[in-house]
Amino acid sequence: MDIEIFPHRLLGADTTERLLNDLEDIEGVKRMVVHGPRLPPEEARHPDRRTIKIKGEEVNLQVKTGRVLLEIETEEAIDDVREACEDNLPFGFEVHVGTFIRKQKTVTDNIKYGEDLDKIPDEMVGLTDQSARLSDRATIIKRKKEQ
Amino acid sequence: MAQFYPGTTKVAQNRRNFCNPDYTLEKLREVSDEDVVKILGHRAPGEEYPSVHPPIDELDEPEDAVREMVIPIDGAKAGDRVRYIQFSDSMYFAPCHPFIRARSYLWRFRGADAGVLSGRQIIETRERDLEKYAKTLIETEYMDAGRTGIKGKTVHGHSLRLDEDGIMFDMIRRFIYDKASGTVSYVKNQIGEELDEPVNVGAPLDEATLKAKTTIYRKDGEAYRDDKDAVEVLHRVHVLRSEGGFCPE
Repeated sequence: MDIEIFPHRLLGADTTERLLNDLEDIEGVKRMVVHGPRLPPEEARHPDRRTIKIKGEEVNLQVKTGRVLLEIETEEAIDDVREACEDNLPFGFEVHVGTFIRKQKTVTDNIKYGEDLDKIPDEMVGLTDQSARLSDRATIIKRKKEQ
Repeated sequence: MAQFYPGTTKVAQNRRNFCNPDYTLEKLREVSDEDVVKILGHRAPGEEYPSVHPPIDELDEPEDAVREMVIPIDGAKAGDRVRYIQFSDSMYFAPCHPFIRARSYLWRFRGADAGVLSGRQIIETRERDLEKYAKTLIETEYMDAGRTGIKGKTVHGHSLRLDEDGIMFDMIRRFIYDKASGTVSYVKNQIGEELDEPVNVGAPLDEATLKAKTTIYRKDGEAYRDDKDAVEVLHRVHVLRSEGGFCPE
């Protein structure tokens, strides 16, 4: 199942970094999508356009965080997510339950990737928009116990 | 006495205050004349006012009673160009908003033309008068450093969520919040050209002050439906307009 965290303010890079690190600690979280208006290119030197570190993995932050979409394994994780949000988002937030991340490969994917579509693992589906390269937008963060 | 706006809530009172030319607006910051000219970006500070026609005194005008009755504003007398300043007000409790701006401009500023759009509001008048009016608009409670933007173009942002510091979104980052000093500075003029030196417009007001000063009805502030007087007048206007426009007999 998916949940959406909707903060009442747009988040800066520091808060995003703290929030994502706390969310990454939660057992039941499988995938995360950071969604929001795009930041200007690096040449514009926007203070929020920087590399953030999530569990040691470097992620190039390209958007000003407006929503965080999470795929979770169990419903119990929602309470942990709320707790993490309360610590990091003092200005308020909402958590919605629903379907937010695409789970199936589509015809558009087929046109985009062609024969290589079969090589794309299911976990990578729905993590970015159609116009972008998957490698530019998606980062795999390894869990310690899986290593 | 002129009836500016109905309603018993604080929001209605604030709206009346803006529209009433006898009410003195609170001054929130000091911005020098030179800085106002820089933010406007129409001419360099100290430069002569370019003109589009000779001074009115030198013009050979036809005899006309109205021309004699109406005293021209300074800019018109000198033949200045018509120039503008445009503001964008956040929906999150900005002190003023487009149509109250327009109504109040027409009450307070002579010889100016006000244009209202959903997310921005423009005032156009002769250049030297504009600078005078712009100074009032920037220094008084018309403007909050965080929730109001001087945006001559690329105005997007009034309905977006604020950023963490309570500053309205600005696509081309004309104004920047300095966390250390807690103040906002304009680093670009209203159309996004870099300024030589930033112009400081002071600290944004806190949430409670903004809620007390705002002219925007909001469910999480003062809701419009709770203002019985204002709703009653609105209903009356609506009914009269509908009946009058439909079939008067």
